[in-house]
Amino acid sequence: CVDDLEDYNIDQKRATTVPAVTLFTGATKNLMDVLTTPNVNTNNYRFYVQHWTSTQYLDEPRYNMTSRLIPQNMWTTLYRDVLNDLKEAKRLINDDATLAAGVKQNQLAQLEIMEVYTWSVLVNTFGDVPYTEALDPQNALPKYDNAQTIYNDILSRLEVAVDQLDPAFAGFGGSGDILYGGNMANWLKFGNSMKLKLGMVVADVDNARAKALAESATAPGAGGVISSNAENAAFEYLSAPPNNNPISSNVKGPLSTREDYVAANTLVDAMNQRNDPRREFYFTQVNGQYVGGKYGFPNTFTSFSTVSAKVAAPTFEALLIDYAEVEFLLAEAVERGYNVGGTAIEHYNKGVTASITYWGGTEAQALAYLAQPSVNYLTAPGDWRQKIGTQEWIALYNRGYDAWLTWRRLDAPNLLPPVDGLIVPKRLIYPVNEQTLNPGNNAAAASAIGGDQSSTKLFWDIR
Amino acid sequence: QVRAITGTVTDASTNQPLPGVTVLVKGTSVGTATGADGTYTVNVPEGSNTLVFRFIGYQTVERPIGTNTTLNVSMGTDTRQLGEVVVTALGIERNRNELAYSAQEVSGDQITRARNENVVNSLSGKVAGLDIRTNNTMGGSTNVIIRGYSSLTGENQALFVIDGVPVSNANNNGSNQATGRGGADFGNAAADLNPDNIESVNVLKGAAATALYGSRAANGVIMITTKKGAKNSLNIAVNSGVTWSSIDKSTYVKYQKEYGGGYFQGFRASRDLGSGVAPVVRFQDDASYGPRFDPNLQVYQWDAIDPLHPNFGKTRPWVAAENDPTSFYRRGLNSNQSVVVSGGGDKTTFNLGYTRNDIKGNLPNSTIDKDMFNFNASYEASERLTVSASGNYTRTVGVGRYGTGYSGNNPNQQFRQWWQTNVDLEEQKDAYFRNRQNITWNWNSSNTGPIYSDNPYWTQYENYSNDSRDNIYGYATVNYKITDWMSALGRASFNTTSDMQEERVAVGSAGLSSYSRYNRDFNETNFDLMLNFNKDISEEFKFNGLLGTNLRRDRAESIFTATNGGLVVPRLYSISNSASPVNPPTETYWRRGVDGIFANASFGFRDTYFMELSARQDKSTTLPVDDNTYFYPAAGVNVLFSNLVETSWLSHGKVRINYAEVGNDAPPLSIYDVYDKPTGFGSTPIFSMPSTKNNPNLKPERKKSMEAGIEAEFFNNLFGFDFTVYKENQIDQIMPVSQTAASGFTNRYVNAGEVENKGFEVAAFVTPIQTGDFTWTMNFNFARNRNKVISLYEDVQNLTLASFQGGVSLNAAIGQPYGVIRGNDFVYTNGQRTVGANGYYLLSDRSDVIIGNPNPDWTGGFNNTVTFKGVSLGFLIDVRKGGDVFSLDQWYGEATGLYAHTAGLNAKGNPSRLPVDEGGGVLLPGVKEDGTPNDIYAENQDGDGMTPYGYAANNYEGAPRAWYVYDGSFVKLREVALSYALPQSLVGNLGFVKGVDLQLIGRNLWIIHKNMEYSDPEEGLSSGNAGRGYQSGAYPAVRTYGFNVKLNF
Repeated sequence: CVDDLEDYNIDQKRATTVPAVTLFTGATKNLMDVLTTPNVNTNNYRFYVQHWTSTQYLDEPRYNMTSRLIPQNMWTTLYRDVLNDLKEAKRLINDDATLAAGVKQNQLAQLEIMEVYTWSVLVNTFGDVPYTEALDPQNALPKYDNAQTIYNDILSRLEVAVDQLDPAFAGFGGSGDILYGGNMANWLKFGNSMKLKLGMVVADVDNARAKALAESATAPGAGGVISSNAENAAFEYLSAPPNNNPISSNVKGPLSTREDYVAANTLVDAMNQRNDPRREFYFTQVNGQYVGGKYGFPNTFTSFSTVSAKVAAPTFEALLIDYAEVEFLLAEAVERGYNVGGTAIEHYNKGVTASITYWGGTEAQALAYLAQPSVNYLTAPGDWRQKIGTQEWIALYNRGYDAWLTWRRLDAPNLLPPVDGLIVPKRLIYPVNEQTLNPGNNAAAASAIGGDQSSTKLFWDIR
Repeated sequence: QVRAITGTVTDASTNQPLPGVTVLVKGTSVGTATGADGTYTVNVPEGSNTLVFRFIGYQTVERPIGTNTTLNVSMGTDTRQLGEVVVTALGIERNRNELAYSAQEVSGDQITRARNENVVNSLSGKVAGLDIRTNNTMGGSTNVIIRGYSSLTGENQALFVIDGVPVSNANNNGSNQATGRGGADFGNAAADLNPDNIESVNVLKGAAATALYGSRAANGVIMITTKKGAKNSLNIAVNSGVTWSSIDKSTYVKYQKEYGGGYFQGFRASRDLGSGVAPVVRFQDDASYGPRFDPNLQVYQWDAIDPLHPNFGKTRPWVAAENDPTSFYRRGLNSNQSVVVSGGGDKTTFNLGYTRNDIKGNLPNSTIDKDMFNFNASYEASERLTVSASGNYTRTVGVGRYGTGYSGNNPNQQFRQWWQTNVDLEEQKDAYFRNRQNITWNWNSSNTGPIYSDNPYWTQYENYSNDSRDNIYGYATVNYKITDWMSALGRASFNTTSDMQEERVAVGSAGLSSYSRYNRDFNETNFDLMLNFNKDISEEFKFNGLLGTNLRRDRAESIFTATNGGLVVPRLYSISNSASPVNPPTETYWRRGVDGIFANASFGFRDTYFMELSARQDKSTTLPVDDNTYFYPAAGVNVLFSNLVETSWLSHGKVRINYAEVGNDAPPLSIYDVYDKPTGFGSTPIFSMPSTKNNPNLKPERKKSMEAGIEAEFFNNLFGFDFTVYKENQIDQIMPVSQTAASGFTNRYVNAGEVENKGFEVAAFVTPIQTGDFTWTMNFNFARNRNKVISLYEDVQNLTLASFQGGVSLNAAIGQPYGVIRGNDFVYTNGQRTVGANGYYLLSDRSDVIIGNPNPDWTGGFNNTVTFKGVSLGFLIDVRKGGDVFSLDQWYGEATGLYAHTAGLNAKGNPSRLPVDEGGGVLLPGVKEDGTPNDIYAENQDGDGMTPYGYAANNYEGAPRAWYVYDGSFVKLREVALSYALPQSLVGNLGFVKGVDLQLIGRNLWIIHKNMEYSDPEEGLSSGNAGRGYQSGAYPAVRTYGFNVKLNF
């Protein structure tokens, strides 16, 4: 009789209990993948910042976000495949009565830092998003929260999490922590660097908050920020799918025959003008030259530089934050009058040097590069925003999301749309299915941010 | 005083003896059956004076005996499809007069008339309210919907029951296949049925008819009765048929022949590839917006860089291809050979058959072979005890099933969407066969291999799939007559299917090489125990009853495994040939158990007033233990009003009304949450939260159905009709609704939502001509269903059923029919399509406007049978009105300039592909934003691939999706069959041969009307909820013609 068959409803092939660290690992990988992939269905930021352009299909370089489910794929990955797994890992850690208190604190802090990072990506991509009512499966209609309110909250959470990290205890360790292999001192530096980075995003609208975060991150005894490329928040991909770098699945190489991308003339020209030593690590050559395809127009694959073998390699690492970026942020902090130590030019030079040496160049190349008037901080054109912004834009090659974020923040360099009438996106539009799945709240949010357009500026984007 | 009456029963149209006809003395249980030679002898008790001759598929004949001792009878086939005796739920035979619900029967002859190898497809147009949709792939799945879609996310397909045994009709295609993202359509299991073994098919439409089957029959039942042997006879039938098939070019692309490959009107830089400096075709551009053809211009084509090609290193004139992609489709062949031996002794009957079916598809390297064994037998062990059993086995082996959807394995992806009109298919064929390498027209820019499209012959011969299915079903039944009014029946039945599918991408293809293997086993067993009562309480008051239990157990398990990171050794297809370590296989395992008890009582008064009550209670393992039981009732009454009026013209008249509810359980494993296990990161394990939130508080869902009907026949069955109206509401639906990913899950199981279907069905027949030798019978079927989503869940207004490439989706939206297509629309000014300043159509602000409804307005069939002496002509016209389809083929293929209207002259008489300032451009019909008629010529080609069409319009925002939604109406000449039965006088000279039937047949010979210019509106992706309203890589319709010979020994 049926009543004796209760195990019929138990899935014999799937787990009902798992170690928390496996969720942490999976969430970290999903976040890295979605931020790294150049797949046009998900991540087109390399186009928006004109690092790359396409050969034949112009939909995405011309900012179409609806033919493919781009915003939806980004949204779904961040909420469902990152945040929800982190939330579940937290639940499991909190429920684990046997865990030593110090370890538990560290693991919860690691989870919190990853959560904060992910929320920052959501807010800085879309604007207002569901937050206080999010991640509740019983609430199919979560309200959207004000982007600035969310942002303030995650900054506070970040501060608490960083305070909570104690390098005297272990955290998620070993192979389960793909970023730092369980090195809590590095997690502390990662956390401080995030305070600096996320704080600087709101510097134009909330200078005091940005200042406080930058200064506390760099304060003596705080544990320091990332201070060498060895401390980068780097994710080392493996050679075999599905753990290869997603770039290698999308560009020509052992895993794909497609010829969709070439380097954009905007970036290549800027680097050619500066004799940039990173070109050989960024791009391939055409007849001994670095040639970028015209951004947003059809380009013949063989006529232009494309991604280098280094970038296309399945094991090429992905970055969440690196040393160069931290130095550029510090240079900016100095320019904004924050007490973070050093001078702007020192930090600028360190940032440029860190980037060149990270990619494979030498200190000498860096020195020569910096000696050029177009690069030298004292002589490079424009104000500090333009100087730092341009170099950061070059340094953040292959980090489309961060390059786009920084470009929107500093408005440098001056990127022009390929044809008149188009506007370089200032945000992703909301996923189309939000209009139908959560219509009331979605409509309210669209109107609250000033219209669900890709040209609508986010709350911190006031310049 | 008992009299012995003898006689012979023959078929009225063929004059052949009919074995196995039941001969009953009216009003008694005395009777016999005709033998192999059609003769019978029956002892008629005193006082009886009428014999009743009854045989399935034939009209029942009643004859007064009078003073005769010999009574010869000829029986006419029952083409009215409103048979007297019908097989109802659980295999119970009932008199049609007693039924309070609609049931429409199709005889085996009608099924096999046009020799369709798929039983289900041969039902199209023959039953009112049965919506059959087939796609054009070889052996592809068939969608079987009765009275519309009612379940928002669950099963909407009808249940198949063979001789009381429910059998699987699962479609085991992957979820990507159903949403147009590639994969082969491996068909569904109903294709395993042997058409030659079918006696009749009865379609039970409403819940009242199916309530005894319980939850699973909520979508209606296709009841199939197989052929049985006749007592004291031996009959051997040999059937041999061959049909050929070829594509219907009216359902395919008409290519423009003015411009060749490229996204703009230029070649690659001129180079010397061996015969001097000449322009090089832009091989890498998968479009035909390139330079204008010019026979005087010598260019290097794709063949110039194939070292084995005779044209290697040579230029050739720049002209359109002689052989366009239609020449890729070859003539198909279908051979069907069967032998059936049937007969019986005094107490036994048996039927044993074997059929071999070989299908050669229209694509190169595509075949399906089927072996079908059918056996059934029964034995009357005593006066009271009858045992019977059946065992059937079908093995289907497929090779090269057609790739579907947006995938390189579907040749139509290149032919309909991404193609160069200068590429000659025959040359591609030679290029592949010359060295069996992937010599593509679509070289990458370094000329080292394919960039996007493989050589289509390479695709078919190297990247093919193969599959097999073993399908076994059968039963063992014991029937014991306890008293003359009560009998007990015990039945054990089973169905097992075992599927294997292998798919491959060869080394050297555009895609990463791979090999995958999928195995699935499904098993269902049912145990039924039933008590049947059949008691005449008085002369006027009759009672039929049923009390029963059913135990059902299902088990399904599957495993999928694939290579990782490519293959090492070319053409070696084994998992161990994986380039990278293989990721763990995906396993599934689920079970389901349902215990049911049911009762049925029907009362008849004066053979005129009838009432039927039934009830069933199910208990299912898929529901939470404390809420796993559900009860549902059905009731109906009918009145045979023709008994109340004495007229000569009304030969049969009945009104009926019923109400029924059916409960339904949840899909297995939807109660408790579990974790997903993605592939680990190297040696580091990863788990993740699932994307669907299960629900421990599910309760049974429910369908409520009301139906009323009237049927009448006039002038001794010269014409008649059956009219049914119905309304069905499915409520509290168990479904994994989509919800915002912001909730952490993209789906959650809930009990919510209501869908209503209401409509009417008409089945009518008329015999306009009936003389001695000449008969013409027409049958009409018409059904109109209106479907509406009444509610969803909480405040949600829309549920997305499937999101498709191209920016369109299928949806359930409140107040709308199920499955509406959403996408962006035109901007309308005073009802006119509006163009912007550049002459292109403007896009609506929202991209989720309802732009199409895939549900047909109505469906109909018009079936004719004309017989003259031994010759019979049957033809069927199948009609569908409405039912919208979005075409991704047009969306891409117009933007890449394949279709004739993307080239040619504009209204000024200039080539439209010239720049507007040179007199070119396209004038789109509509108005400007100020409402005045459009006079702005839009650039047909702006130099960087932008066109007014499809995805390439409006700076790649695309043209309005609504422009690519087409009306799916059609009128098709579905079947034509010309049969000739050799007269008995001739057959008599052939010795032991008892009958010879010759047949010429054709299917889908002519699409009389359609509105989709380049495609078959019936074509879809697959069976299932998402498989309609969207075409991507559509296959053309196939015309079939051939002959069939049937010998009886």
